[in-house]
Amino acid sequence: MSPALRKIVLPVGTFLSFLLGWQLLSEALDVPVYLLPSPLDIYEGGGKLGPAILSNTLETLKTILLGFVCACVVGIPLGVVVSVNRTISEMIYPLIVFLNAIPIIAIAPILVVIFGTDMTTRLIIVTLTCFFPIMVNTAAGMMDTPKEMLDLARVAGASRMGEILSVRLPSAIPFIFSGLRIGVTVAVVGAVVAEFVNANKGLGFLVTSSTAQFAIPTATACVVILAVISVVLYEAVNWAHRAFFGWSIKTKAGE
Amino acid sequence: MIHATPAREAHSKPETRPDFGMQGREGAGTARREPIIELAHAGVTFATAKGDPLVAVEDMNLTIYREEIVSLVGPSGCGKSTVLRMLAGLQQPTSGDIWIGGGKTQRGFSEVALVFQRPTLLPWLSVMDNVLYPVKVLQRPTKAHRSRAMELLELVGLQDMADRMPHELSGGMQQRASIARSLILDPKILLMDEPFGALDALTREDLQLDLLDIHAETRKTILLVTHSINEAVLLSDRVAVMSARPGRMQDLVEIDVPKPRGAESGARPDFLALSQRIRDDIFGPRLSRKGRRA
Ligand SMILES: Nc1ncnc2c1ncn2[C@@H]1O[C@H](COP(=O)(O)OP(=O)(O)OP(=O)(O)O)[C@@H](O)[C@H]1O
Ligand SMILES: [Mg+2]
Repeated sequence: MSPALRKIVLPVGTFLSFLLGWQLLSEALDVPVYLLPSPLDIYEGGGKLGPAILSNTLETLKTILLGFVCACVVGIPLGVVVSVNRTISEMIYPLIVFLNAIPIIAIAPILVVIFGTDMTTRLIIVTLTCFFPIMVNTAAGMMDTPKEMLDLARVAGASRMGEILSVRLPSAIPFIFSGLRIGVTVAVVGAVVAEFVNANKGLGFLVTSSTAQFAIPTATACVVILAVISVVLYEAVNWAHRAFFGWSIKTKAGE
Repeated sequence: MIHATPAREAHSKPETRPDFGMQGREGAGTARREPIIELAHAGVTFATAKGDPLVAVEDMNLTIYREEIVSLVGPSGCGKSTVLRMLAGLQQPTSGDIWIGGGKTQRGFSEVALVFQRPTLLPWLSVMDNVLYPVKVLQRPTKAHRSRAMELLELVGLQDMADRMPHELSGGMQQRASIARSLILDPKILLMDEPFGALDALTREDLQLDLLDIHAETRKTILLVTHSINEAVLLSDRVAVMSARPGRMQDLVEIDVPKPRGAESGARPDFLALSQRIRDDIFGPRLSRKGRRA
């Protein structure tokens, strides 16, 4: 078996055996559906929603992606600024740490009251949840620039801005992508929280509304979809990293 | 022997450099030699976290002439890199003066260019773009710059690698590329900090001879820091020996081994005698200290 094939076949095999074991066990023990639905129950529960499942998935995906983009637009420049300007860093860093320390789930209902129950609120919640890892990693990467590269830029006569754009930012790329990988998974959590507190559609909303009607298999089906979204987005960030910044992966050992 | 620059008086205005170093005290034929770098009582003291200042370089006096290759050798930590960083403008002297000839009209790598111990190519740029980096910092590269970059890559034997990324090159090739980069803006002075230190012995020998060829062709003034006494004698017109703690000039050795030099020069008696002298300069104090303890 080729290594590439192994990489797919082995985990998929494990996963399928797990599902099979779960199915057989819950049939053998006759576990009630509301306690722990079997894989087939979950599949049927999802099916009950019909086409609604697609539109709600798309809605959640929209919230995640828009919030994630906002977090990038805020987080990356903020990380750059914080890393290169001591004064600004000292001025705003404690504030940002404080902002990040607020449990998002606690502040979400308050945000709903302030901003209302539309997309804006959901975007704010998602952005708040995931901009921090993006910002911190960007700043760490900027400051991790090898000293010799900075010396090179300075001897070559680069301005402060030139140094940031030509050396620091590119050399921070691997760090930024670490931040994005964390950020995109956290964004999924943020989107669900946002939909818990303020939405009439989306997978997070479906989870709460189905649970309220004891439709546990349906709620679980939504959770499974959320997990799949999370994995797919993580892999999408990985793919973008490899496709557009391959140099920053190939320079690492073992690739 | 402690070498001193001919003039001892302090001169605070680098632009109005007095006429010293031209009075033939450097040996025969000095009259033609035009100084390009002057260190006069230059020193660097670092403030340390612990509080007590660290004197890295003290009272450093050295005159370097146009088209000359001078090596800087000395024990680890004696301040060789600090001297180079001063000349590159990365470190201000905290005492004394440094002076670089030819007027400070140009910027960046057209003034002094730096080659590091590690190649320090930017991994996100192709080899060609790395060579052009010093240009890009100042302006948009022109066609002329590109063809010049190609010439330089040919000079260092990398003409087929222009479009490769740095990680596709061996360490030796990367260092060749960074030498090409240092020459792109035709610098007055080439500063090299242990440029071959990270390479294997064979590649190192190869690049040393390449550097002699490049010097024969471009007539750059080169100040080279090295840990290899053999390399210093092979490449240099003069070898400046520094002593440690605080770093200062200890000896200035004129290398009169005939040119062109090659790998075979290393076997000449005068080559060996000069190497021995430098070795004694560096290790002498340590041997005598051991002797005392015994
Ligand atoms: N930025 C700095 N801050 C404080 N001390 C420094 C700094 N840079 C260098 N030093 C100290 O100055 C001394 C000289 O350092 P330098 O790097 O110039 O030595 P070197 O001769 O190049 O050594 P090596 O041969 O190991 O490269 C050392 O004791 C070093 O610890
Ligand atoms: Mg050094």
